[in-house]
Amino acid sequence: MIKIKNLYKSYGKIQALKGIDITINKGEFYGLLGPNGAGKTTIINILSTILKPDKGDVFINGFDLKIDSKKCKNYIGIVPQEIALYDDLSAYENLMFWGKLYKIKSSILSIRVNELLDLMGLEKRKHHKIKTFSGGMKRRINIACALLHSPEVLLMDEPTVGVDPQSRNFIFEALQKLHKNGTTIIYTTHYMEEVEKLCDKISIIDYGKIIAQGSINDLKKLSKISESIIIHSDSEFENKKDIISNSIKNKFDINDNFIKFYSNNINTDLSKIINKLNTIDINITNIELKKTNLESLFLELTGRKLHD
Amino acid sequence: MIKLTLKDLKLFVTDIKAVLLTFMLPIILVTLFTIGFGGISGGGKSNPIKLLVSDQDSTEITQNIITKLDSLKELDIEQISLVDAKKAIKEGKRMAVLTFYEGCTDSIENGNDVPMELFYDESREAEIGLLQQALISNLMGMIGQQKIKNNIFKFIDEKNANLSPAILSNIHKQVEEQFFGAQSKGENPVTQGMNLKMTKLFADEEPNWALIQAVAGVSVMMLLFSVAAMGATLLEEKEEGTLKRLLYSPINPLEILFGKLLYTFIIALIQLFVLFVFAWLAFDLEIFSNLPALIILLIATAFACSSFGIFLASICKSRKQVESLSTIIILVMSAIGGSMMPFFLMPPFMKKMAMFSVNHWSIQGMYDIFYRHLPTINIVYKSLILLSIGIVISLIAVNRFKKHILKVE
Repeated sequence: MIKIKNLYKSYGKIQALKGIDITINKGEFYGLLGPNGAGKTTIINILSTILKPDKGDVFINGFDLKIDSKKCKNYIGIVPQEIALYDDLSAYENLMFWGKLYKIKSSILSIRVNELLDLMGLEKRKHHKIKTFSGGMKRRINIACALLHSPEVLLMDEPTVGVDPQSRNFIFEALQKLHKNGTTIIYTTHYMEEVEKLCDKISIIDYGKIIAQGSINDLKKLSKISESIIIHSDSEFENKKDIISNSIKNKFDINDNFIKFYSNNINTDLSKIINKLNTIDINITNIELKKTNLESLFLELTGRKLHD
Repeated sequence: MIKLTLKDLKLFVTDIKAVLLTFMLPIILVTLFTIGFGGISGGGKSNPIKLLVSDQDSTEITQNIITKLDSLKELDIEQISLVDAKKAIKEGKRMAVLTFYEGCTDSIENGNDVPMELFYDESREAEIGLLQQALISNLMGMIGQQKIKNNIFKFIDEKNANLSPAILSNIHKQVEEQFFGAQSKGENPVTQGMNLKMTKLFADEEPNWALIQAVAGVSVMMLLFSVAAMGATLLEEKEEGTLKRLLYSPINPLEILFGKLLYTFIIALIQLFVLFVFAWLAFDLEIFSNLPALIILLIATAFACSSFGIFLASICKSRKQVESLSTIIILVMSAIGGSMMPFFLMPPFMKKMAMFSVNHWSIQGMYDIFYRHLPTINIVYKSLILLSIGIVISLIAVNRFKKHILKVE
């Protein structure tokens, strides 16, 4: 569906992209994860045809972006980082305006606008001016604007910045519905939990380069740090070391009053370990889960935190 | 307190736009007005007033007077027929014609009232005032001398009828040398009893030039302010991110610019029509005297001004820049273009500069319609100039828009 080959882009002396290669299949939910200034928005701007790369090729649905940019535009819907709406128009008027730019018939467009307002949970506020909306509601309309022409590919540039939890959930639900219906979604963010929740595949970008690529599980495997479950107790573990090693298969380390179990699958191992410890009369006072996540992977790969 | 003052002073100095607005703009305007009004101050440095003269008497005496007038530094005389002179005044090319009717010489010789008349353009009253000064102090002096001299000679001849012509001629010569020698250059004018008939050339229609100046001058200047603000919405779109979203859509980027131009043009046109309808209702401005010409001129004015608004937005980087730059450019353009002071008050070099302003062509077009009552073709000519200005600055705006506003980083 989308092929990005050896993409380079510089702004003066600053090299924003240094040879990006990404392949995104039809219907995939693809995450571009990286800190601010990594080059995510530059990729989105190039895909949206408003920015020309210095070098490299992009193909959308087989069409070369350089040659058939108009055709490519019809396949894609873009959710920009900014809330690009007219504050003094209502939600309905905004959506109708943006839809008309795609030459959709008014009658069809009106139906589509109502569908999208329903999808975003804002049908009751459709005639309210955008300036009366909360940040999260504006974000939802911002996303709806990109869906008016039913694009096959949805490019989303940090669409949840400054969004309240309720709106965030609406957005996630809406995106999952779209994903289910076969829309290809490219999602940039620096929130790793969003990527983990939504994306099938991701590319981790730093300083204009892809430093890791693949599914969440593929990337987790790259990590040398395994996941762990730390159990605290008011009794000592040392004298029950043998019983524990006989009943629980996971490797572990014992400290004074806590024990650390290493796990490849924390979700299934957790309940088993708790049950076993209960049977050998260990009074659990606290449980800590040390998961391998993209944050820790990013730290491991770059030596920096994602939000630095 | 001192710290706060120093902090504000530091911030002020670092804000180049604020400094420009505070110091440069008043300096520019003071300079323009000083130069402008200097042109009518009557000072020695001002250029001579161009005066048309129609000599219907065509005698040695009238020609002698005309030559003497032409030799004055305040006047630049051009002899022309009365019909052509009136036409030139009506077209706004000249401001007045001094007419010597048949019998002027006889009247001078007989000491009667001299049949002469000054036809003038009422809209140029300030210049006419200066012209009157120059004429009264010179022309009347010349004619007055001639009349007094003739009366004295007549009296001498009557009282000394028994003397031979040779003796009488000698007496005339001595009287002329002793009493009129110094005055022959017009340095000691004798004006008592002399009246120059002054006639407004547009007296039949009695148009109110001050009303035309006020409506035309203010409407164009205010329109420029409005379109500058409307043009700035282009930068607002960029700052708010909606321009980016427009660029995502399948429309041609230039459609965005032309869409803004059309929006600005429509509002500008409505603003002009509202103002002129108001001037008609409130001040009896005769907007129906040549409605087609007025419509053509207003359309051309609205287009030129809208293009100016878009051009302004295209050369600025932010709305704030538009605000400060537009104030400077519009005030300067209005000063030189005739919105703040009538065109005829300006010195020649400012009149040349005025040609580059939208205000000038539009205001003069309105004078042509409401004051000079010129045919539509004259208004079409000025409208074409306005359209040309609009096209040129639109093209520059397109170029700037492509290179700067569409630049995404």
